[in-house]
Amino acid sequence: MPPIERYITDATLEVFSTMIFIDINPGEPLKGQDDGIDSNLTSMIGLAGDLQGVLAVHCPEKAALGITGAMLGMEVTEIDDDVRDAIGEIANMVAGGLKVALAENDIAIELAIPTTVLGKAVRTSGQAGVSRFIVPFASPVGDFGIELKYVLH
Amino acid sequence: MGDFSDIIPKVIDATKEIFTGMVMMDVDQEGEPSNELGVIKDSITGMVGLAGTHKGMLAVHFPNELALAITTSFLGMDVNEINEDVQDAVGEIANMLGGNVKTLLTDRGYDIQLSLPSTISGEEYTFLADSDLQQIVIPFTAPAGNFYVELELEP
Repeated sequence: MPPIERYITDATLEVFSTMIFIDINPGEPLKGQDDGIDSNLTSMIGLAGDLQGVLAVHCPEKAALGITGAMLGMEVTEIDDDVRDAIGEIANMVAGGLKVALAENDIAIELAIPTTVLGKAVRTSGQAGVSRFIVPFASPVGDFGIELKYVLH
Repeated sequence: MGDFSDIIPKVIDATKEIFTGMVMMDVDQEGEPSNELGVIKDSITGMVGLAGTHKGMLAVHFPNELALAITTSFLGMDVNEINEDVQDAVGEIANMLGGNVKTLLTDRGYDIQLSLPSTISGEEYTFLADSDLQQIVIPFTAPAGNFYVELELEP
């Protein structure tokens, strides 16, 4: 069983160190049924193939604005199309990193497109019988989490 | 890929078939397709990603009451709150409709695979669609409420 949690953590660290230039600190993956990240913006991207799943980037507003601002090199004060595109692109890139790591284990996946959802008291869920974990990250602009729900075929 | 609006009538037919065959509900298109949805309230959305030669996403947005009615019909027992059974039922509808869209696109020569379905639910949420994508929102009416099928595809 490949260390999928580590692939997610590594892919995220890679994206942030090469594209966003914010120091982030991963925590232990959360695997409880009721574990979640306090957030009101989530970018999700579907994964298909030998591993079927959904990767989600969960951000509270402050972190979404801070991360987008760092990516664009300017202050961002409200959730707008730039934030949607920035967080969506993070989901896309982390998923891309996961794809490369899985390919080295002969696990082939394809990515769908990121979708960003903005909302209050929003819950996401997968289906029964699906593995799930969240890697929480701390950063100077706020905490966020990367969640993966998946089934390995 | 070009304009995919010609598959809309087939998506509408597929939606009606799924509801008639699996949910035992008659549903109908209600109004013209649009390309915007706005804020969604007290609802649950099932979604599935399309991956491969053409990427996209299909989502079905149900108000809570309709989602409960659908799940009650699926399970043959009363469901009164948005719980795991409702999430599974809504995700399964997205999955079935996604399977139909996959077949429609495969018939056109595209190689598409489906991601895992997932659901989003809450008091108030908005799907922020990437403006580069073709986005179609088709409104439907069902006995227990109206719902929307949303399809986003890379052009």
